[in-house]
Parts: sequence; structure tokens; C-alpha cells
Amino acid sequence: MQVTGSLKGRSSRLIRSVNSLAGAAMFVAPLLALVAIWAIVVPLFNVNPRVFPSVGAVGAAAMESIRDGTLFSHVGASLLRVGLGTLIGIATAVPLGIAMGVSPTVAALLTPLFRFFSVLAGIAWIPIATLWFGYGFGAIVFVIFNAVFFVVAYNTLLGVRTIPHTLRNAAASLGAGRWALLTEVLLPGALPNIVTGIRTGLGFAWRGLIAAEMIATNVGLGYMLFVARDFYRTEVIVFGMIVIGVLWLLIDRLLLVPLERATIERWGLVRRA
Amino acid sequence: MKTLSLRNLGKTYFDPYAGAHVTAVHDVSLDVELGEFISVVGPSGCGKTTILNMIAGFIPYSKGDILLDGKPVHGPGPERGVVFQSFALFPWKTVLDNVGFGPKMRGVPKAERDRIAREYLALAGLSHAAHRYPNELSGGMQQRVGVVRALANNPDVLLMDEPFASVDAQTRMTLQEELTRIWQERKPTVIFITHDVPEAVFLANRVVVLSKGRVLDEIAVDLPRPRVWDDLVKDDHFKQLSARVLQMVRAA
Repeated sequence: MQVTGSLKGRSSRLIRSVNSLAGAAMFVAPLLALVAIWAIVVPLFNVNPRVFPSVGAVGAAAMESIRDGTLFSHVGASLLRVGLGTLIGIATAVPLGIAMGVSPTVAALLTPLFRFFSVLAGIAWIPIATLWFGYGFGAIVFVIFNAVFFVVAYNTLLGVRTIPHTLRNAAASLGAGRWALLTEVLLPGALPNIVTGIRTGLGFAWRGLIAAEMIATNVGLGYMLFVARDFYRTEVIVFGMIVIGVLWLLIDRLLLVPLERATIERWGLVRRA
Repeated sequence: MKTLSLRNLGKTYFDPYAGAHVTAVHDVSLDVELGEFISVVGPSGCGKTTILNMIAGFIPYSKGDILLDGKPVHGPGPERGVVFQSFALFPWKTVLDNVGFGPKMRGVPKAERDRIAREYLALAGLSHAAHRYPNELSGGMQQRVGVVRALANNPDVLLMDEPFASVDAQTRMTLQEELTRIWQERKPTVIFITHDVPEAVFLANRVVVLSKGRVLDEIAVDLPRPRVWDDLVKDDHFKQLSARVLQMVRAA
């Protein structure tokens, strides 16, 4: 029994890893097909490199930016801005969202403001942000913060509102005070929506980042694209676009999806919602 | 020895749909002795859940007094444990941590509250489920957790609001038998709200019948314990008591 049990466990683990490999292959195959079409079409129609680069030219641009280190300084600058802006956004939005969720008065006062500003969130703030913070780090972090803030605050509010009231009553009748209610009920109860908010907000922020970097800085992925345009270097532009896309997929798959799995799915909240 | 006293308790609230003040509870007085098991029955709208919510402190009362060991009750508190119809388990906590929640709120260290939680889980035959999450359990198992979670906090009074109404009939009978067994072992003071007359008689020492926000009558249940359904379905005295209560509820 012991032996078959462990064999069974091992084979099911094997099946699972084969499955996840197959899943990854299914995900990558269409992308590879696109690259294959690209590799055939560009030489076939003799496309002008000023219009669209060849696969080889993009590969060479990639090698060059890796060798001279510029890729890493652009990626590093972009990730730092997104990371910092997102952290500040989450740290301010979650408490505010919870306050709105708990107090109808706070929610009534702030909801019209939220409706108005969520339309404007993100890149519409670039001009005034550059006036406030100057060109560079501060302005871009502000735009990221802004893009994340409203989405996360609104989703936190929704999250708190979806917690059944009996759960709060249950906690109170078991002796929970205000602080325990917050940490034991409201925060974990709102977490599924908070994670959704972060995922959506980071998506906005990532797009906003590229836009802001085209205007307001001299380093970063958006800047890399924008400067390459001035020199008709389409291979650098396309390489930059690939990096932007791949980085987002990595952030989403390696950071956000596992976070969702580790908490929400385990508690069965996704099915309930 | 009195544990809980309701004195001329009343509840009137404004109903925004009716656009008028509605009196859910007119005037209810009731004394509950230490270690007593009371069932409160009555037709829908008789005010039984409102009374329970006032004792639990979830809603304020409009008139009268609720006294626990002579002291007035305001707001929820750990000395009044509640078992909810909807179970109200924390989905993000394991069964063990759900049951250990009350002790945790009292500041009991982790090792000790795990020991307490395991002891109560064993009482309900749930030791194997300690590390599961509520959504992985059947309705009957979830409500067993709900009951021992309230008990593990050692409340002076256990308030149960139609706790078995949302499980299937077979499971309900098992849960009722388990509850009488646990009550005999621990002798907690229980107020049990239900609209199911046989359930009320099966469990209680005393059945209180409510009608339109007032106490209509009370019946002492002197059936011997332990009580099991296989015996009681054939028992004439049980049938008589149930019939009397049912008559009152239907006349209410």
C-alpha cells in the first residue's frame, strides 16, 4: 500500500508537470508561429528596414543592448518606477478602500470624486505631474501611483462590501475588537478583490509607464522606443516592444497569478464570487 | 440560578419599505437558568430571531432590559456565543483556526489555543478535518465547526439561530443527537431558535412559544436523556408534547 501510494503520488506529480509543460507549449506556440511568419514575410517582400525590421536585425539589436548594458538600465529604471508607484498606490488605496467599505458616510463623500478621477487616472496626469515633479523619476512614479490607486481603492471597497455581515457579527461575538475585525475579517475578506484590483491596476500602470517614459524622462523602456524612432531604428523599437510584452507576461504569470492561487482559490472564494 | 433575564423586552424599528414604524417584539420577559436548554418556537414574523439578535448585541433594543448575571447587555461580546444559520465560518481560516478564533481574541498563545481547538474538534468528531478549509466541508460538517467554535470560547450563553435549517433532513437528525450529547457533557446554557416543533421538543428542557412579539406559553420537556430519535419517534410522551406545542404554534 505504502509503495503504490507513493508511486501514485509520484506519477500524478509527473502528469501534473507534463500538463503544465504542455500548457506552456500551447501558450508559446502561437507566438513562435508569429515570429516564423515575420521571418518569412520580411525578406520575401523585401520590406524596407525603416518600415519594419527583420528578425535578424532585432536579434542583433537585442545582443547589442545586452552587451553594452543599456537594456538592463532601461528595464531596471522602468521596473523600479512601476514597483515604487504600485507599492505607494496599494499602501494608500487599501486603507482608504476599507474606510469607505466600513463607513457609508466616507463612501458617500468620496464616491463622486472616485467616479470623476478614475476616468482621468494615469496618463492624463503626465503634463501636470511634470510641472509638479519636473521631468523624470517623481513625475513617472506619480503617474503609476495614480493609475494603481483608484482601481485598488475601488476594488477594496467592493471587497469589503461583499463580506457577509454575519462574518463581522461572528467575529464580534467571539470577542474581536476593531483591530482584530480589520486584520482577521475585513482585510482577508477583501483580499480577492484587492488582488484583482492590483492586477488590473498594474496593467494600467504598465501602459501608463511606457507613455510617461516617452515624454518625461531620459531612461526606461518607453524612452528607449521613443529615441530609437528619431534614428529610424525600427529594430530597437520592435525589440523594446517585445521586452515590454514579455516583462508584463512574466510579472503577471510569476507574481500575480501565483498570488491569486495561493489565497483566493484555496479558500474557494473565486467560485463563490 | 438565573443566567439571563429578559425584562419587558421590546423592539420597534422604522421599516423604509412600509414607511412606518413596525414593532417586531412587543413585551417579552424570560428567565433562563444556568445550564438550561431553551427552545424558542413560533411562526415566521413572531420576533424570535429579533430577540436572539438583541441578546447577541447585533441590534439595539428599544425598551426593557437584557441582563446577563444581573448586568445589562449592550453590543456583541464573547460571553454570548452565537451559532448562525448560515454557519458564518471564516473561509480564509482552516477549521482549526476557526475554532481557535475565540481563544485567539482572548490572547491565548498559539499552542494552547490549538490544543483547545483540537479538544473541541474531537468532541464533534472532526479531528480529521482540522487542516481543511470550510469550503471543503459538507454543510453538516461546517455547522459542527460552527457549534464547537462557539463552545470553545466558553460562553455563558450559547445562542443558536435556526442552526440546522440549511442542512438535509438526515444530517439534521444526526446534528440534533450530537447537540444533545454535547449539551449533556458540557451543560452550556442554550437558547435555541427554531420553527421546527419536533426539533424544539427533542432538544430542550423548556419550549417557549412566541406569537406576534409576545410569549404565548411555555412547556417543560421532562423527557429523559440521552435522547435519540430511534426511541423518541415511538415515544408517546414525546408525541403528546410535540402535538401540544404544534397546536399552540398553529393557533399563534
